[in-house]
Amino acid sequence: MSHTPILQARGLKRHFVTKAPFFGDPTVVRAVDGVDLTIGEGETFAIVGESGCGKSTLARLLVRLIEPSEGQVAYQGNDIGDLSEQALRDLRAELQFIFQDPFSSLNPRMTVGALIEEPLRTHGIGTLEARSTAVARILTRVGLRPEHADRYPHEFSGGQRQRIGIARALVSGPKVVIGDEPVSALDVSIQAQVINILEDLRDAFGLTLIVIAHDLAVIRHMSDRVAVMYLGKIVEVSPTDALFRSPAHPYTEALLEAIPIPTVGARKAHVAIEGDLPNPIAPPSGCRFHTRCPYAIDTCRTEEPVLRDLGDGHQAACHFAGDLTLKRIKPGDLRRTPAAARRFDVYSAARARTDPAKTQHSSSREEKPHAYR
Amino acid sequence: MNTPAPPVLVVEDLELRIGNAPEPIVDGVSFTLNAGETLCIVGESGCGKSLTALALMGLLASPPLQQSGGRAEFQGEDLFKMPRETLRRVRGGRMAMIFQEPMSSLNPALKIGEQIAESVREHQGLGFEAARLRALEMLERVRIPAAEKRLNEYPHQLSGGMRQRAMIAMALANDPSLLIADEPTTALDVTIQAQILDLMRSLSQESGTALIMITHDLGVVAEMADKVAVMYAGRVAEAGSAQQIFDDPQHPYTLGLMSSMPSLGGSRERLVTIPGSVPSPIDMPRGCRFAARCPFVGDDCAEAPAAREISSGHSVSCWRAPLEDAVTETEARIA
Repeated sequence: MSHTPILQARGLKRHFVTKAPFFGDPTVVRAVDGVDLTIGEGETFAIVGESGCGKSTLARLLVRLIEPSEGQVAYQGNDIGDLSEQALRDLRAELQFIFQDPFSSLNPRMTVGALIEEPLRTHGIGTLEARSTAVARILTRVGLRPEHADRYPHEFSGGQRQRIGIARALVSGPKVVIGDEPVSALDVSIQAQVINILEDLRDAFGLTLIVIAHDLAVIRHMSDRVAVMYLGKIVEVSPTDALFRSPAHPYTEALLEAIPIPTVGARKAHVAIEGDLPNPIAPPSGCRFHTRCPYAIDTCRTEEPVLRDLGDGHQAACHFAGDLTLKRIKPGDLRRTPAAARRFDVYSAARARTDPAKTQHSSSREEKPHAYR
Repeated sequence: MNTPAPPVLVVEDLELRIGNAPEPIVDGVSFTLNAGETLCIVGESGCGKSLTALALMGLLASPPLQQSGGRAEFQGEDLFKMPRETLRRVRGGRMAMIFQEPMSSLNPALKIGEQIAESVREHQGLGFEAARLRALEMLERVRIPAAEKRLNEYPHQLSGGMRQRAMIAMALANDPSLLIADEPTTALDVTIQAQILDLMRSLSQESGTALIMITHDLGVVAEMADKVAVMYAGRVAEAGSAQQIFDDPQHPYTLGLMSSMPSLGGSRERLVTIPGSVPSPIDMPRGCRFAARCPFVGDDCAEAPAAREISSGHSVSCWRAPLEDAVTETEARIA
């Protein structure tokens, strides 16, 4: 896929320094430690990794919600590091964020209408009347009703609150939306509804979507490209299909091997790597993954591998990238019996009959919500 | 050992109520569990899976919750009629439970070794030194590295995966016949989850402990379960062997749940969802509780369907099962 770059990170670092103790030096956590990324306009880019790998910090750096220790982020070719506070604030109308926890990210004292209208008010978009029309419109788009604007967040379920969060992020007509684990706090059936809404709105508004997630199935379903992070660094970046078809970094293999697969008698999730994530305060020397890597040799303990190009946009930071034959999830592991497949068809057909909303968002791109600006 | 051993746990028509809500919050839950078997109870938040487990352990917050019907026979004794003192001895001894969040279920002020030893002293009457040795042995069995050192550490000094291992060590220290695990890996990262699942599988195989595993993750179910109960809004929608549930899913809720999951196979098609959300526990609908979200709903669904055996060991609570026949009939009627 060839996209014009919309967001670019160069040498991005963020080190958190603890308060200096009475004796000795303060500890430094290298949460993000040298990340280069180019995200193309209109693509869905996923960042995956386990807790503590720095994925949320990276997401916040990309929209300058926190300041980098080193490195730059450019939005549409312009460095956002030099922007004045006011200019940054204006820019935020175009770069929006969806948070993980729909219970703590909405102000409980504001009505849903006021919450969704807030970004428009902040950015001075539209008249009062135009704003309330916009709120009603976006509420409908996320599957809620305009009259919900008068209610408070506590009156809604987790899934509905996440829809409110999405409405709030989209109402100002952003170009880039970053979701930090946008569906991971939700139940399976609600998660599916929210994924569909996100994808519909992405397609309808032509959004660039950056999804931070730890769930590989969600990533496989939603994203065009993936970056795998481990201890503050990107260890593999690839078009999504290629990553699942031919993983090139042993850590990616370990992640794929560890997912339980919803098919009885498929391969058992395999303990590919033992042990815990090393302490990010003192990351291992050389390749950061060497302490848990089954393929590590002496070189890996001393020399840090850099991202190497494997062709077709696939890069991995491993000395053996491209030489190792790594395991993947085989299509046979996900097979369905004919009986099950038939019954799923019956279910989808019945759902299609009873859910006309399914075809409501057609492929034609609509005007963006900020057209009334 | 040639005569079939009696089941470890038989639950029949368990009913739980909350306050004076008109409909029970858990209604008619039944299952049988044999030694060495793993039963997975799967469902979404509010389906009553955790409440069922807490009721069995005698840990219901009562009031407002109360066990209002049914029985649970554990090794021949009725858990709900057991005197308090007996229940205290059974719980943590022959029957143990592990929880989702190990940090909040471990005592932060007690060393790991002391927490395990305490339960061993209490239940097996071992002396101080013997209990300590047992704690060490258990930490080694759950493959905690440098177990000797960990005995003297506090919960906050352990990582999430280590804490869950310590919880498992504590639960298994008295060789229970039944272990109930409530979402034991939900709070863990996927590579750590694989380690814990692997550990639980091999420990239950070694010891013959029957395992009830409560989860919302169908992947975990496929991996661990011999038997599966799919719960929705306090009732068992469908139950059977893992093979039956995954290869021949019958209940519309089971189908909806499975098709809601994004595929690892690379399909980018729109997910086929379940519309709406779960009913409120204090206002459960009469009749089939899934009716409001079901694409196959009809007039007869105003009456709650009883569990019906569709093949040996596979039961479904739905008037429409098997669905393909029901759909053909409807189409014939319309035509």
